[in-house]
Amino acid sequence: MLSRIAESLFWIGRYVERADGTARLLDVHLQLLLEDPWVDEDTACRSLLEVIGSDAHYPHQLTRQELLTILSVDRGEPSSISASLNAARENARRVREIVSTELWECLNTTRSRMPRKVSIERAHDFFGWVRERTALAVGIVESSTSRDEAWTFFTLGRALERVDMTARLLATSELTEASGPSWTTILRSCGAYEAYLRTYRGVPSATNAAEFLLLDKIFPRSVTFALSRAETCLSDLQPTTARVGVTDNALRQVGQLRTNLEYRSAPEILANLTSEMIALQTGVSEISESIRSRYFPVNVMPTWVGEVS
Amino acid sequence: MADLFDHYPFAQPSGGATPAFDEMFSGAGKVRPSYKKIHETLASMTQDELRGRTEALADSYLAQGVTFDFAGEERPFPLDAVPRVIEKTEWNTLEAGVKQRVQVLEAFLADIYGAQNAIRDGVIPAALVASSAHFHRAAHGIDPANGVRIQVSGIDLVRDEAGAWRVLEDNVRVPSGVSYVISNRRVMAQTLPELFQQMRIQPVGEYPNRLLAALRAAAPSGVEDPVVVVLTPGVYNSAYFEHTLLARLMGLELVEGRDLFCSGGKVYMRTTAGARRVDVIYRRVDDEFLDPLAFRADSVLGPPGLLTAARLGNVTLANAVGNGVADDKLVYTYIPELTKYYLGQEPIIENVKTWRLEEGESLQEVLDRLDELVVKPVDGSGGKGLVVGPRASKKELDDLRKRLIKDPRGWIAQPVIQLSTIPTLVDQGLRPRHADLRPFAVNSGDDIWVLPGGLTRVALPEGELVVNSSQGGGSKDTWVIGVDRTSTKNKIQTNSQVSSLVAGQTSADSGFSRQQEQQQQIQETKPNA
Amino acid sequence: MSRYKIVHTTGFKYEADVAASYNEARLLPVRDDRQIVFSTKLDIEPHGSSHEYFDYFKTRTLMFEVLEPHRELTITATTNVELRNPMPETPTLDWPSMAALVVSSLELTDAVAQTKRTSPPADLVRFAKRIAKTNSPHETALAVCAKVFSDMTYRHGVTGVHSIATEAWNNKIGVCQDFAHITLGALRAVGIPARYVSGYLHPSKQPQIGETVTGESHAWVEWWAGKWFAYDPTNDVHVLERHVVIGRARDYDDLPPLRGVYAGPHQSELFVSVQITKEG
Repeated sequence: MLSRIAESLFWIGRYVERADGTARLLDVHLQLLLEDPWVDEDTACRSLLEVIGSDAHYPHQLTRQELLTILSVDRGEPSSISASLNAARENARRVREIVSTELWECLNTTRSRMPRKVSIERAHDFFGWVRERTALAVGIVESSTSRDEAWTFFTLGRALERVDMTARLLATSELTEASGPSWTTILRSCGAYEAYLRTYRGVPSATNAAEFLLLDKIFPRSVTFALSRAETCLSDLQPTTARVGVTDNALRQVGQLRTNLEYRSAPEILANLTSEMIALQTGVSEISESIRSRYFPVNVMPTWVGEVS
Repeated sequence: MADLFDHYPFAQPSGGATPAFDEMFSGAGKVRPSYKKIHETLASMTQDELRGRTEALADSYLAQGVTFDFAGEERPFPLDAVPRVIEKTEWNTLEAGVKQRVQVLEAFLADIYGAQNAIRDGVIPAALVASSAHFHRAAHGIDPANGVRIQVSGIDLVRDEAGAWRVLEDNVRVPSGVSYVISNRRVMAQTLPELFQQMRIQPVGEYPNRLLAALRAAAPSGVEDPVVVVLTPGVYNSAYFEHTLLARLMGLELVEGRDLFCSGGKVYMRTTAGARRVDVIYRRVDDEFLDPLAFRADSVLGPPGLLTAARLGNVTLANAVGNGVADDKLVYTYIPELTKYYLGQEPIIENVKTWRLEEGESLQEVLDRLDELVVKPVDGSGGKGLVVGPRASKKELDDLRKRLIKDPRGWIAQPVIQLSTIPTLVDQGLRPRHADLRPFAVNSGDDIWVLPGGLTRVALPEGELVVNSSQGGGSKDTWVIGVDRTSTKNKIQTNSQVSSLVAGQTSADSGFSRQQEQQQQIQETKPNA
Repeated sequence: MSRYKIVHTTGFKYEADVAASYNEARLLPVRDDRQIVFSTKLDIEPHGSSHEYFDYFKTRTLMFEVLEPHRELTITATTNVELRNPMPETPTLDWPSMAALVVSSLELTDAVAQTKRTSPPADLVRFAKRIAKTNSPHETALAVCAKVFSDMTYRHGVTGVHSIATEAWNNKIGVCQDFAHITLGALRAVGIPARYVSGYLHPSKQPQIGETVTGESHAWVEWWAGKWFAYDPTNDVHVLERHVVIGRARDYDDLPPLRGVYAGPHQSELFVSVQITKEG
């Protein structure tokens, strides 16, 4: 497969997952933070922007409506849902001949139906729509793509982004009081609440909820699950019969990240959740870089310069 | 009610000259036999009904991305719901004419980049070839592996006032538009399904298979299973949709310049598994951007060294580099002579009368009659730079006059031809609009295959003679009808046994699923739908 | 009969590492009746793959690539060539027969078409036309050469490699390349097919055998009036014992010694040196 195409598929996966994750994250926190009468609106908005990774500077006082606009529909803001979906569509457009017509039409229609404004009252509906559209995109891929390299790169992108987004989501738990209700909301936003209840049979505690989202081996939105999936994808890309260790950098890094979580206890991680989550995000970006250098070698457009004697 | 043809002007007196030939009507209310069924269907339809179908068609194009950029906005490619019809007997002549044309152009290119006999024998002036902007001396020494330089051509045809077909221009560089033929056919089957059942329309879905076969046949000798790729300038090219569609239908990689690199006189593409050798490139990048070493040094659309690889016979470029000398509009004027010279035949389809401005008194004659002629730049295509005398302002004509005097080699002049008209849906209902036809031919070396029909482009403004989508042009599906072969394999079969096997969640649901399934079948029996 | 050894070293220095470069070199003398090429050797540093071919104008061309990072690209062409010098025959065609033959030959048509570089100054065209009225094509060509030689001053550094005929003529200063372009423009203006010749000239009129001297690339012209006739307008001399031909084309741009592209964005700087030794 062409490196350029693989790169686009990887990023379609990441952007689709990012749009979904951002929608879930916003949905939770617009409720959690902003409906709290004692919270300082501006500070809350800024911490959320920071967690989501926006670098932009907003000199004036931020309101929840502005925060919603910035992170949902502002195409100029790289962390917004709109920007992610647009980027996914642009990547798909560049590999139009590889992605299925159905996926293309799904991403294209999503972009063209993207609203320009969302009001606080309609926010929940909007996030629901984003979740549906991204689920549709993923569903199309899952149900109609051959399990070839195209699928593997797409899935790899999704898995890594999911690690990143879940890490961000967990990091936000520190933005508010680490009490029961907030964890319920966090679990709900991941669609994990019912699965959690079935597993733990009890009221969510911070420890149990974090453990579930970080370490559960069979819940697909947990970090460990997503890392395992990334590991499988990377192994599929480079079947090896080597007897000694792991030669692929990305694979080694994913494995380290996973075992570092898996072989520690939840309270230990939870004691320092924010920095642990930052470490996880850093890990993901290093893996992404290793994948780029291995499979998408410097493919920047060369600028040819003429020379004549 | 049935108001679509209300106030249809049956003979259009345009500028006092002979009216255009209308392809549906031979006179007031007199429908030509080939259009009888279409006319019946349309006549029984209301404007709203046809408009509704047209809108559905545009929505479908928007969703599929069959669009073109209009002032930075993506618009659905305009397809008119009324098809153009060509009877098989008439088509046979066009097909033969197009084949002959391609044969002559191939012979001409082989000669010009080879022995140059036509020049030595005085059939065509050396100065004409030497001064052609697309006679690429850098292409010298590149011998096509199977002798084919024009894998794909688009020979533009028009019908004059008498209904006679004529060649308007040849396109043998990177002709585009075939994706619209394929897409148009797909959506038309959904727009006017009642007609598809009645008329035997020659399918167009074979095109990608023919093209792929021709590309494979052009592989460097000794390569048994060639790696063929489609080279696109990239996502911002106006024909990008076509590049993706063709790559997909042929199952080929669609590469950009940066995906390729040359090393050791061979061409490779960068893949996740390392460099992979490329044998044939169906390139949709213009000559000037193909190889920064040979042409524009600042090009990022092609890899340096590509021409060397082609010269060494390690890669085939299709179409060949330097083909533009053959579709130069001054060379066009010599095609009848060249047909006799190379093939010993008379042209099957005639040219439009054309003035060569460098010859004798013709420049003066053209300057005197500028307001009644069409003047075109010799290396433009698709109406670029064209001036229609009767519709031009005085200032435009004055500017044009100066340019013709300064560069008579750069222009040709032709009489204004009232291109034939076909009923087309506009705001007032169905109205006659001028159209041309671009049939596509694929040359595999063994055979020149002409896609039945081609792209009919129609000028939407009233009286407009320039058909071009950037200037408010539309398109029509083109139906070659009256299939002269007996074939049953395309018959739709409704397999009731299969549908009864489909498990429904509830029994009340089965009617619906059956209906859905049959729609699927109708689609599936269309080629490549 | 004279034998020369020519060592032509040229290349580019870049301000920083360049990831890839692709070049074409036209540094190898043609083989024809007048020139016997004994041996040629091309060294490219850093080493890359290369392919030789004859271009449209029949010039021996070497395409080569360097696909490793490099700060300097050097190509050295070493040639041994023997010149045989039959006294050139005087072309004798008259104006109408010459014109008639041009129409049906692409080679000759290429040689009468002006290029951007040869587009001639008006006063020189008037001069050529006046001479042409009463003289044969060949005599006219010789007169034009004499005129260019007498009016122009040879000086380095005023015009660059991109200079065009009219500029150099207006300043009345130029190098061999300008002399050639000006002459070509005037000859073509009166309908005489004429081509640009690129090659080397031994700088000394009486070369010493075995002595290596610093030379340079040189350019002169050939015109056609029934047969090709070579002349050097820069020195107002016939092309005999000292001129080694690399190639012939429409103007300089058809056969620069080295031309290519490299992966930017850094600046490049050209260097050239030519050593000529008369060996026999």
